[in-house]
Amino acid sequence: MRALAAAAIGLTAALALVLTVSAIGGPSGETSPEPLLTTVPEHP
Amino acid sequence: MRRTASLVLLAFAVFCAALSPLLRWYAFPRLAKIPPDEYQTAVLEAAPATLIDYGTMKPRKVPKVSIVQTLRGNVAAAEKTGRTTGRDVVVWDALSYIAGPDGKMVSRIPERYVFDAHSQDPVHSGGEHVDGDAVRRDGIEFKWPFLTEKRDYRYFDAQTRTSAPIHYKGTRTFRGLEVYYFEQTIPWTKVPLPKTMPVDGVTPEAVRKAGTSRWYTTKRMFWVEPATGAPVNGEEIHREELRGGTLLGDRDKVTVFSGHVKMREDYIKHTVDLVSSQRQLVLLLTSYLPWGLLTLGGGLFALALWLEARSRRPRPAAAAGTSAAEPVVSGSS
Repeated sequence: MRALAAAAIGLTAALALVLTVSAIGGPSGETSPEPLLTTVPEHP
Repeated sequence: MRRTASLVLLAFAVFCAALSPLLRWYAFPRLAKIPPDEYQTAVLEAAPATLIDYGTMKPRKVPKVSIVQTLRGNVAAAEKTGRTTGRDVVVWDALSYIAGPDGKMVSRIPERYVFDAHSQDPVHSGGEHVDGDAVRRDGIEFKWPFLTEKRDYRYFDAQTRTSAPIHYKGTRTFRGLEVYYFEQTIPWTKVPLPKTMPVDGVTPEAVRKAGTSRWYTTKRMFWVEPATGAPVNGEEIHREELRGGTLLGDRDKVTVFSGHVKMREDYIKHTVDLVSSQRQLVLLLTSYLPWGLLTLGGGLFALALWLEARSRRPRPAAAAGTSAAEPVVSGSS
């Protein structure tokens, strides 16, 4: 019974971690102020 | 004490073993995505190339033609389209600007590409277009999906405004990276004239009224890093012609452009460096962490079992002490 409880704790922790990390996601940021180029750049 | 330790180890073993598939099949598809604020440039060159001289309407050899491609993520448009479609969407405003040997404009084709940030499937919303013409993309453009497969994909051709298969032609090594090589051939096809012509006073309507049409064929090649789905190199053997009409005099057709377009060396190096670092992040979630956690979980489980078995076994010293004392006790009574 105690082994089952330990396994359940491990499983719940894994689920909670993955769900939290997936839900947070990344920041959306802002549109770059750089222009769409109409000249040949010298370097990347 | 040993039983408590074995239970703690069991909990960690289950945690690691459960985390392994959850990371690979739940977290990765949700975390791996194209950021909406991406900004990328690429320069390709055809050197030498054949280019039409619009003054004489005759083709001439030129030392170099440069193609400057810019992709800029439009965050506001992505958020708006995301709200209406309920998907995680990326909107790329792109410009393919072609400059002649003197740096003057030969052609400029703006595009809007709207796609799912995770799968790279096209999203038919948000004003997708090529040179102002509304299009409905079928298949990919610019980038392959994460974890690219060894199979043919449908690839959108901006000139013809249609999609066609791009064929997987094998695995190669490119600058130390294992890549999948893809090839697509577009046969001679009548295509729209660009909205912006390189000569003042010449409009696509005027060319059309003269009975002249634009035709194009290309063989495009991509070397794609499979974990990220990012092309690390691209080439095109590209030909364009004007055919028919009064503009060409007594000729049936005239070459507008012909050349083998290759990515400029400094951009290849920059792209390979960028993709190599991004590749590690993808592999971390799809391979290194899942396999590492699974191995660790197995090890912890074995250790938990061993501790549990030891805690249940009678202690040899205690057992020996009890059996030696008995005769003494019985003898004294």
